[in-house]
Amino acid sequence: MLKINNLSAKIDNKSILQDFKLEINPGEVHAIMGPNGSGKSTLSNILSGKKGYDVTGEVLFENKDLFSLETEERAHKGIFLAFQYPLEIPGVNTNVFLKTSLNAIKKARGEKELDAIQFLKLVKEKAKELKFDEEKLGRQLNVGFSGGEKKKNEILQMSILNPKLSILDETDSGLDIDALKTVAEGVNALRKKNNSFLIITHYQRLLEYIKPDFVHVLMNGKIIKSGGPELALELEKKGYENIN
Amino acid sequence: MEEQLKIDFEKKLKDFSYSDQEKKFKETNFKEFLKQGFPNRKLENWKFSDLNQIIKNNIGELTFYNDYKKENQIDKIELIRELEHNRIIIVDGKIEKIDFKFEEKDKIEVLDEQGEETIKENINSLINLNNAFSNKFCKIIIKKNYSLKKPLVIYHSTNKNTQSKNTNSRIDFKLEENACLRIIDIFKDNSEKNFLNIYYNFELDKSSILKNYKIDKSINNNVKYSYNNVKQQANSISETFILSSGSKFFKNEINCDLLGQHSSAFVNGIFDLDDENHHEIKSNINHLVENTKSYQLVKSVLEKKSKAVYQGKIFVSSEAQKTDGYQLSNAILLSENSEFNAKPELEIYADDVKCSHGSSSGSLDENSIFYLMSRGLNYKEAKKLLINGFLLDVIEKITDEEIKNLIKDLLGVKE
Repeated sequence: MLKINNLSAKIDNKSILQDFKLEINPGEVHAIMGPNGSGKSTLSNILSGKKGYDVTGEVLFENKDLFSLETEERAHKGIFLAFQYPLEIPGVNTNVFLKTSLNAIKKARGEKELDAIQFLKLVKEKAKELKFDEEKLGRQLNVGFSGGEKKKNEILQMSILNPKLSILDETDSGLDIDALKTVAEGVNALRKKNNSFLIITHYQRLLEYIKPDFVHVLMNGKIIKSGGPELALELEKKGYENIN
Repeated sequence: MEEQLKIDFEKKLKDFSYSDQEKKFKETNFKEFLKQGFPNRKLENWKFSDLNQIIKNNIGELTFYNDYKKENQIDKIELIRELEHNRIIIVDGKIEKIDFKFEEKDKIEVLDEQGEETIKENINSLINLNNAFSNKFCKIIIKKNYSLKKPLVIYHSTNKNTQSKNTNSRIDFKLEENACLRIIDIFKDNSEKNFLNIYYNFELDKSSILKNYKIDKSINNNVKYSYNNVKQQANSISETFILSSGSKFFKNEINCDLLGQHSSAFVNGIFDLDDENHHEIKSNINHLVENTKSYQLVKSVLEKKSKAVYQGKIFVSSEAQKTDGYQLSNAILLSENSEFNAKPELEIYADDVKCSHGSSSGSLDENSIFYLMSRGLNYKEAKKLLINGFLLDVIEKITDEEIKNLIKDLLGVKE
């Protein structure tokens, strides 16, 4: 589904990712763990199309060159990024935003757009599953939401948009243990044969609830070690400095 | 221009059968205008624009006389269909039609005799010009305790090849105690290169409510100036909302004298400008007695080489304790060449007051755009959504639901 070959990225001539390689097949859950400044967020930004990076190398999503696609086209093809810091958008109603987003994607795919009633039914159902306060859906997007609510809102968006590849950028940070469980349940509910996940995190904690198929350790812009779920536990014990 | 002015003014006096009093009034104003001329940058109110230059660049030489013999296009004016309304139709500065068809006849009085009190006023040279050249005097009185069932829409229209390059119109309003009036100003420009000068005089008696929505949306090449003079008695409320967008140049001045306790004034507006349009809002809120309130919010979205100016003044006299005055302006500059000027002016002589002001301007937040695009919206849609969100809180200030929806439709703000 996703193939990253020799990806290097620079910002203002500072090298962030170097010869990065990763392959994610349909249905797989990959976790990338790494210390601060190792390039984790850069990776998620580049995959979702944020401007401002000089890149070389190749990224293929379903065999299509990802760099030839605009940010919104990547969303249309099924890439979703759950932001580390979801933005507050004043004056934009959360429900309106969710519906606009879902219908923009449906339209681009040539699918039938949802009307207001169909949409509300869907969003209510998903909000309930995620224990997301329905009242917040009528409020301005993320404005006045707590850190945990913002993160839950990201997962709500994810479950409504039902992407093929979801990138979770430190979704666990700022979540209390109950919220963490709910978020994990939301992710697990989406785990299907064809849906893949790239989970970016500092800590092993989230991976107790979302069991990854593969764990990669990212240091200084490179994957220095890959393994199964046991690698996360090893990291937790030894720390990033002593892994090799 | 002075020669032209004199010739046109003589013709004007001859054509209309003005009473001696009216004649004198017009002559006094005419002399005053000759003395002062058009406002320029030397005046603090006109710091950001030179009207002479603006007229010269956009219109050329002005002419002032219109015999109104040419058939006007009053029947061709496209009326608002979205809401039922009373109407006044002004063509080339002349009131052609006054129609309060939805109202009880004895609750509204239309006078054509000017009262003593307005004769002595001397506001500025453009009002002098207006008083010299506007047609028959017109005053509309809303009787005590009467709330109009439907809004009054005032259409400001121009004929295609209007005879005079400058048109002047004036309407006086009196809202008696506890009366309520909603006015929507709509501009239907059929001409190009005209200078429209509009003057409203409002007397708000105790507990009356005035709502004035000025909608300048359709694109046109005219230069406009509008002055609202509002005098408010106790417990009265004035709400002014300005959607400033379509004209080449438009300056709206709002003067509110809060003369009675617990009176309040709200002035809100949107500058939605493109190309090289230059628009201004100048407010003077004069808190003259205790316990009065004012609130002003102006938001701007500026494309290309457009320029917006907001000069909001809050004046608090030494008697006006417990004044509550607030003003805020925010601007989004969508191009490096667009310009927003805010000049808050607070002049406070009382010591127990609450007054604040603020202003910000910046570009659209690229991170917010990226966030929305990562959810499948293209750049244009993301930008539109952010701008709508930015404008929403000022639109929400409109207290009339019907008119709020009309303005939302005009701006393409959907929910």
